[in-house]
Amino acid sequence: MTDNFEQELRFLQMRFIGKILAGFTHESKNYLAIIKESAGLIEDMIKLGKSGEAASSQYLEITHSIEEQIEKSAGLFKYLNRFSHRMDTKLSGFNCNEALEELIALVNRFANQKRIELAKDFQQDLPQIYGNPSMIQFLIFSFLEENIITLDQNSRIIIKTETANGSIMIGIIPEGNLIEVEREKVEFPYETYDIVLKQLGGALTRLKGALKFTFPLKVSDI
Amino acid sequence: MKEKDIKVLIVDDETDFANTLAQRLKIRNFKVGTAYDGEEALTRLKEDEPDVVVLDLRMPGMHGMEVLQEMRKGYPDIQVIVLTGHGTDKDEEEAKRLGGFGFLNKPVDIDILEQKIKAAFNEKMGRTMPA
Repeated sequence: MTDNFEQELRFLQMRFIGKILAGFTHESKNYLAIIKESAGLIEDMIKLGKSGEAASSQYLEITHSIEEQIEKSAGLFKYLNRFSHRMDTKLSGFNCNEALEELIALVNRFANQKRIELAKDFQQDLPQIYGNPSMIQFLIFSFLEENIITLDQNSRIIIKTETANGSIMIGIIPEGNLIEVEREKVEFPYETYDIVLKQLGGALTRLKGALKFTFPLKVSDI
Repeated sequence: MKEKDIKVLIVDDETDFANTLAQRLKIRNFKVGTAYDGEEALTRLKEDEPDVVVLDLRMPGMHGMEVLQEMRKGYPDIQVIVLTGHGTDKDEEEAKRLGGFGFLNKPVDIDILEQKIKAAFNEKMGRTMPA
């Protein structure tokens, strides 16, 4: 493996983690801002001496909103924590659906910015696989990002999992119109992805144009 | 000029945030409207004619900078305060270059926002009042 490949891969992985953290902090800051304003509104109402049935109902509404924001934050924290711990070891047994679910939760904001829906079509009771979940998340993120960049607003990307011939297939299926992208500004390092995928024992297939991917991954006895 | 005469439009895709902030500003006697994306904000400008717009940057559809650019073209007297969760120095510079009046980060202290809105309104009056 060349130094160039290693350097490129390291850069792309750091960029991936950076994007995940940026999305996470953005979302968290939004939740905190809502909590701060809600608490501030309660303070304002108390200072105004608001009481009675109508005010009580409003106080309850605000506290429910605070609880809701805290629950959303806790959910996102859970996903980031799980995502981080997947890097503890190089290889581990994991459930593909769970790894994808947390990735989708963490990248959803980028898709939302373009009003693109990330839709899950997961086969239930997938067998556990043994491999490098972080690397798989990195690859899926890369392909999702490409789709998000090249698809028009109000599109949809289906993330599909299924078993076939002793392998787990992950499909990234875009639905929507493509837009013109200045390729010199947005580079998609396919060669690097191909090498990484081969290292993982998988293969990349593109069907119906440039934006459909499937990943066969060997199911392991663990 | 009193706060009740100042019309503020809050533009933020986080509806809970926009609505709660609107209530707090109403308590402080501002006239407040909300829009939940850039396209809606541009429509509301015609209808509401706000004095000051409090604008988020990262929203679905039109980015806040695009909204700011459009607003400066069509409504140069309206003052814009960017209020974002992720303001970088580069964003702040860009907002200034596009004619934004102020740049604040979320979560914001309501007193600081209130002062900024009043300052933006005074700036608008200075520009629109005959010398």
